[in-house]
Amino acid sequence: MVSWEIIYKASVFIAEEMGVALKRSAFSPNIKERMDHSCAVLDSRGLIVAQAEHIPVHLGSFRVGVSNVLKWLKDNNVSLEEGDMIILNDPYISGTHLNDVMVLAPVYYKGEIIAYVVNKAHQVDVGGPMPGSMNPNARTIYEEGLIVPPVKMVKRGRVDNDIMRLIVENSKTPKVTLGDLNAQLAANRMGAKRVLELIDKYGLEEVIMGWSKAIDYGRSLALLNLRDWRKGYSKAEDYIELNDEDITIRVLVEVRDDGIRADYTGSSRQVDAPLNAVYGVTFAATSYAIRVAMSSDVPVNEGFYSVIEVNAPEGTIVNPVKPAPVAGGNVETSQRIADVVLRALAELVPDRIPAAGSGTMMNVMIGGYDNERGYWAYYETIGGGTGGRPGKNGVSGVHVNMTNTLNTPIEVAERNYPIIYTTYMIRNGSGGKGLYRGGDGIIRAFKVLKPARLSILADRFKRGPYGLRGGEQGKPGRVVINRIDGRIEEKPSKFTVDLNPGDEVVIETPGGGGWGQ
Amino acid sequence: MSIVAIDVGGTFTDFIYVKSDGSLGYFKVLSTPRSPEIAIINGLKLIGDVEEVIHASTIATNALRGQVGLDLPRVALITTRGFRDIIEIGRQNRPRLYDPFFDKPRPLVPRDLRFEVDERVDYKGNIVKPLNIEEVEALSLKLRELNVESIAIAFLHSYINPIHEFIASSILGKAVSFVSLSHRVVPEPREYERFSTTVVNATLAPLVSRYISRLSDRLKSIGIKRLHLMSSSGGLVDANEVIDRPVQFIESGPAAGVVASAELAKILREPNIISFDMGGTTAKAGTIVDLEFEITSEYEVGGESHHGRIVKGSGYPVRFPFIDLAEVSAGGGTIIWRDEAGALRVGPISAGADPGPVCYGRGGVKPTLTDANLVLGRLGEYLLGGSMRLDREASIKALSKLGDPYEVSREAISLANLEMARAIRLVTVERGLDPERFTLMAFGGAGPQHALDIAEELNIRKVIIPPHPGVFSALGLLMADWRFEARTAFPTNLEDTYRTLEAELAKKIGRVDYYVRYADVRYEGQGWELTIPVGRPAIIDDVRRAFEDKHLSIFGFTLNRDIEVVVARVFAVVTRVKPRIEPPKRPKEFKAKSSRLTYIHDEMVEVPVYWREDLPVGAVVEGPALIEEYDSTTVLLDEWRLTVGELGELRIER
Repeated sequence: MVSWEIIYKASVFIAEEMGVALKRSAFSPNIKERMDHSCAVLDSRGLIVAQAEHIPVHLGSFRVGVSNVLKWLKDNNVSLEEGDMIILNDPYISGTHLNDVMVLAPVYYKGEIIAYVVNKAHQVDVGGPMPGSMNPNARTIYEEGLIVPPVKMVKRGRVDNDIMRLIVENSKTPKVTLGDLNAQLAANRMGAKRVLELIDKYGLEEVIMGWSKAIDYGRSLALLNLRDWRKGYSKAEDYIELNDEDITIRVLVEVRDDGIRADYTGSSRQVDAPLNAVYGVTFAATSYAIRVAMSSDVPVNEGFYSVIEVNAPEGTIVNPVKPAPVAGGNVETSQRIADVVLRALAELVPDRIPAAGSGTMMNVMIGGYDNERGYWAYYETIGGGTGGRPGKNGVSGVHVNMTNTLNTPIEVAERNYPIIYTTYMIRNGSGGKGLYRGGDGIIRAFKVLKPARLSILADRFKRGPYGLRGGEQGKPGRVVINRIDGRIEEKPSKFTVDLNPGDEVVIETPGGGGWGQ
Repeated sequence: MSIVAIDVGGTFTDFIYVKSDGSLGYFKVLSTPRSPEIAIINGLKLIGDVEEVIHASTIATNALRGQVGLDLPRVALITTRGFRDIIEIGRQNRPRLYDPFFDKPRPLVPRDLRFEVDERVDYKGNIVKPLNIEEVEALSLKLRELNVESIAIAFLHSYINPIHEFIASSILGKAVSFVSLSHRVVPEPREYERFSTTVVNATLAPLVSRYISRLSDRLKSIGIKRLHLMSSSGGLVDANEVIDRPVQFIESGPAAGVVASAELAKILREPNIISFDMGGTTAKAGTIVDLEFEITSEYEVGGESHHGRIVKGSGYPVRFPFIDLAEVSAGGGTIIWRDEAGALRVGPISAGADPGPVCYGRGGVKPTLTDANLVLGRLGEYLLGGSMRLDREASIKALSKLGDPYEVSREAISLANLEMARAIRLVTVERGLDPERFTLMAFGGAGPQHALDIAEELNIRKVIIPPHPGVFSALGLLMADWRFEARTAFPTNLEDTYRTLEAELAKKIGRVDYYVRYADVRYEGQGWELTIPVGRPAIIDDVRRAFEDKHLSIFGFTLNRDIEVVVARVFAVVTRVKPRIEPPKRPKEFKAKSSRLTYIHDEMVEVPVYWREDLPVGAVVEGPALIEEYDSTTVLLDEWRLTVGELGELRIER
């Protein structure tokens, strides 16, 4: 008999190899260099057996996304044949935002579905009015980009070129999109092939048994971790800024011996701005925070997820109904959800939880028309400080919680776009004071050399990231525009503005909160 | 007069040498980590009349990993105003996803030693703001006051216009002993990687140069004048070159194993090889495609690895040509344990050489892969030709704490094999290569024990165990050619650029046998490059064709867009006479020396044990069987057939 550990490890490797295949054949730097993609292997019930560790917001969303798709297919009488693949990006089904295109494939063995493989990748552009498909001004999802419900992109092994063309022609970067979509299909083909090889080697029964034990293992390791946590209730709330309003995210966390429940009752209603976090994002952010609180190496599979229950009332900012726009729910609100859950957990797992990190991805979108280059568009995100931690200071200048992408080198950006950077440094003293200081944020500043339009989608400009145990808040984020004519404009966390050649944009990201007095 | 190759590892220092009659000799002595030259000199005394020493060492890596006794010098960074934190910010990602207690690698230069000066050059090389000379002069005094020994000067876009780095160097060079200029160490764009490499270079410079001069002095004192060193890119360079750019000495030891595999591949006419080197703490896999080893342009020294690849952001990036290796924490000393939910785990912690596996009887109490191999009979009770006895009872006792010792051993070995097979799959699949089409060349002390299991995992049908697997890496040092490297970013005229680089190299080296040209090429606006071999004369249309072919084979498509050469690179190669590997002279008759119960596939069976030196050329052994030798044991599984090749190599096929 082969031990389950071997089946499980082989399955994790399959998920990882799918990631390698995706990255290898993808075209966009977003996937190739920033690795904004994730892959998983699921059993015949659609339960996650193994995932490759990539982007937290994708990983947790698979659990919601896959079960939504399987239910949708059933409700709509669509059956999956051997060699089929389903593609979709409807966030209300797939669980993140339009850019994250999900591709799911059944794995058939002797005429029966014995597993699924799935991947999600952030497509650079999926249509809509803004380059990059993150429209800060959207009031409905229809102003964000093309919505693809679950459709068969591959039928019995043959790619449906009509559907492919339909998606690709909606993108402002069609060639890149085509390349990346093909990479996603290739990753699933590779995953399905490897699952079948695993079955050939060890036999179907052994593999199924191994998967089920791997899930049991994830569950028991997760429950073992809970043993050391204080039992009972803890609540927390925090805010996302929208114009002069504060959008509230409120959570009540209950830790029991047999699981954790996070209840978001009391959070704000959904808004007609792109800050709504679909249920998949809320589940992903909640489970991320819980996983961070666990000290051992708990595999992030169904066993781990099965100890978590998330209640998010419909129509709220953490479980909106269509057609609320969602692009920023994925990149900004997800961060605040992780923040509130961590804050609540800090009461129950005090030696493991840091004060709040920067809490914003600081999305910078800039573009324009230039005779030399034609139409150009550039997107970057900027990290900040992590919170002070029990026993040590926070870390400066990193991406926190729900993202973990790489920056774009200055020397590469300056070559490709009409901008010149004037500063890139640690924002000294921005971390909150405390026994253990928060990590510092970043100052990144550039001048535009040609007329350009700038949009920023960020948060934590009014209130800094919270401290814990008497530690002080981190400094809030800040954007200042130094106009060439000498005017100085202080900006809010979300805005769009036109820039003239020589105007300088100075972006300061929040420092983390301090821990302890 | 002998030529001696010395590979200093964590546990043993390996010696292999060619005598004047062309025959080879080899042995191992225990390493002396604090002063590696002690073990070297001791070993050399055993050989006697030595003409030349070729050396690989992990001293650079060990120093950056914070090994005790190798204290890092006081280094300062001088950079463009507004940008001194680039080496601290890195690429903004965190190396571990779910660990709230993660840390970034500590910057090698603390903030109070990072100085900014007014200057700015744009991406075209235009001076936007001239260098402020007074500021630099003031710094000169300050560096003296602060007792700084070595400095890195790194300005934005210096790879395209280095004038400010030159001027700053001419002023500050008088104040410190070592100066590293970013455009000289890495003449390429991407500021974090270039600055980081320059700082690593500045940090290693005093340490490596002192080590090398100490070593050459000791060598001279025993009459040896010629010392050559292995670079991370698989070629030999001289001591001055290493002192000038010590970053190229970082992965010197592991490179040698791949060079040895490539050279043996040429002799055996095996064009596609996976080189698999498994020692006491790690296993490393590299690929040889069409007889050439694969080179990568970046490495993170001191980083953590995840399934064979270094986790981005966990170490200090170094951009320099490295032989591409995937590395996993699986070696003879890797510890077997159970986590709190009862799952069996292997590694990443290693018992190393001290205390080592339980069976070594040196105080180790945690069972290791070597213990598991011993319990399953895959390893004999005597090592190093009988001079070291292993305690099998102690291994059984230690493994019993985790469950049935045979079950646990079996499972632990399977898990380790899976992990290693995974690393091999990575180095091939990442490039669109199929591991099934490769021959596995397995060496290192533990490589031959695991080779066939791994081959089965990957559907590889042919395995070669080279002669002297335990010191095979050191043999690579004797087989390497000289390779000196130079490069330029964004060349305007390709052929002129290569000629200039070649002229510079010729001036430095003297006689050159041939040059190898490469270009890092991309589509305009693309964020990454592919390395393309370039012909002579260099014609841009040929480069474009080769680039598009490679782009198609790796990525599956091409674009209707202009290409851009980001870096033009030349290696000047000076060939060396390779030692001949003599076929073993042995009697035709051979028989097993004994037999023992050994775990083969799913059961314990009595298998014959052969002494490798008893097997003549052409001998055939059918599995299951064990082939023992001085420092290694080959496990021959059933359904595999072993034939002894012309050079004494074991060719195993199914």
